[in-house]
Amino acid sequence: MSAVIQALLIGIVVGALYSLVALGFGLIMGVMRFVNIAHGSFIIIGGYIAYWLFTLWGIDPYLSIPAVMVCMFVMGLLLYRLALAPLLKYPRAEMRMDKSLLITFGVTWVLDNAVTLVWTPDTRSVITPYSGSTIGIFGARLGLVGLTGLVIAVLITVFLHLLLTRTYFGKHVRAATEDSGAASLSGVNVQRTYLISCGIAAALGGVAGVVIVSSYSVAPSGGLNWLLIAMVVIVLAGEGNITAILPAGLILGVLQSMSTLVVSPAYQQPISLIVFILVLLLRPNGLFAHGGMDDR
Amino acid sequence: MLTPINCRRNNVLEVNHIDVFHDDLQALWDVSMTIAAGEIVSLVGSNGAGKSTLMQAICGVSKPRAGSILFDGARIDRLAPHRVVEKGICMVPEGRRLFPRMSILENLEVGASVKTARKTRRETLDWVYEVFPVLKARSGQRAGTLSGGEQQMLAIGRALMSRPRLLLIDEMSLGLSPVAAQSIAGVVREVNAPRMLTILLVEQDVQLALTLAQRGYVIENGRIVGMGPAAALLCSEEIKEAYLGMGSAQR
Repeated sequence: MSAVIQALLIGIVVGALYSLVALGFGLIMGVMRFVNIAHGSFIIIGGYIAYWLFTLWGIDPYLSIPAVMVCMFVMGLLLYRLALAPLLKYPRAEMRMDKSLLITFGVTWVLDNAVTLVWTPDTRSVITPYSGSTIGIFGARLGLVGLTGLVIAVLITVFLHLLLTRTYFGKHVRAATEDSGAASLSGVNVQRTYLISCGIAAALGGVAGVVIVSSYSVAPSGGLNWLLIAMVVIVLAGEGNITAILPAGLILGVLQSMSTLVVSPAYQQPISLIVFILVLLLRPNGLFAHGGMDDR
Repeated sequence: MLTPINCRRNNVLEVNHIDVFHDDLQALWDVSMTIAAGEIVSLVGSNGAGKSTLMQAICGVSKPRAGSILFDGARIDRLAPHRVVEKGICMVPEGRRLFPRMSILENLEVGASVKTARKTRRETLDWVYEVFPVLKARSGQRAGTLSGGEQQMLAIGRALMSRPRLLLIDEMSLGLSPVAAQSIAGVVREVNAPRMLTILLVEQDVQLALTLAQRGYVIENGRIVGMGPAAALLCSEEIKEAYLGMGSAQR
């Protein structure tokens, strides 16, 4: 029984990280219909920035989150201006999606190699004094670092939800998501909304990177693995359904973690991919799609 | 042919000899139009004549290759659509184009996005709710759940939220029941008269369009082929024949 609780709790912690990884990716995909392959690299770069701040100035990774977010926000703005904004000249969303996939794939190559140049191909991680400490819950033991990651994921999701539902900017984002032409006819500066969404998405990726560098490790080529996770979570959540990303990430995390009770941990990745395919086949609009009106 | 009336009142909108293209296809040829403050003007023409294109050019969605569009004497034909809304022109697009997954209130709030409208959002909202009580009763409901007539009310309400001085309504009654169309027409009169809101509308029902408007323009194959007081247009043989199906040369 305690093994089940342990697996469940680990699954929740890992799942929270998964949703953090997916949030920025899902935001760009939902709002602009762009597939940002470079999101994995953004996560990794966020991790490296936290690593630098820690090794060079001794700043605790979780305290460095605001600085990482600012850096990554600027990177997101650059990505939009240089790579994504030119694609808006294509009138149809599908065309933008195809083109953005190729362009951001190229951006991934550039970023990953730049990261290798700056930080060498070595795997890096941040070891803080509290890295090894654990807390006992229901007879299971959980790492402090992982729990902090969980809290951050929940806080960020709540923050994003409030941003999208309570602010003018958030309403503009949702309006542009549903019908960018109608939004612009209503007086919304759609380009600016896209620009800032891109910055926020990159900043969210940076936060995920901080959690990853302190609970796992980062390497220049690691981005694509995290991107894969992000894609699975987005498919579970349903495209454009940003509030469903946290539960979707938790479901994936718990599923993977629980599977280790039955099969070898080596099967974790295949399991997430099987889930990915099954959901695409059976519920292409995601687990949380409502019926009728919403599916249009 | 129809005689143009001499209009020396203060024009809010002046469209001067514009040519508009869709890619390489010319959709408007040397189109000119003026709208005076407080007027209701109807744009009449068959499908594909260029009515929507002219509306889109005024809103900044399509850019004219030649000619100019002036609003209050200032050029607006180079502005992005959201900048045109800031200037005081708002369009109710064809097919309503609401945000179906957002609530009615949120749709209206998005309508009040431009700076000038944000300041007066609360008053404007009260006014819109007064004009369309049904929207107030359902303000929390998703826009996608409304009926066609209610959706058109919301689309007009959303446009009014930007506090426009010129309201464009494209295909006002398309897809609506006759009753709903009449009630929308009533609302158009209601917002026009007391508030001096200038309105340009495209309406497939020419009879309705010309009884509602004071003046009308007739557009055919991308060219303005006639204009005049709405009453005169309604009686003209050309209009009767082409749009009302009751001309002398009835087939």
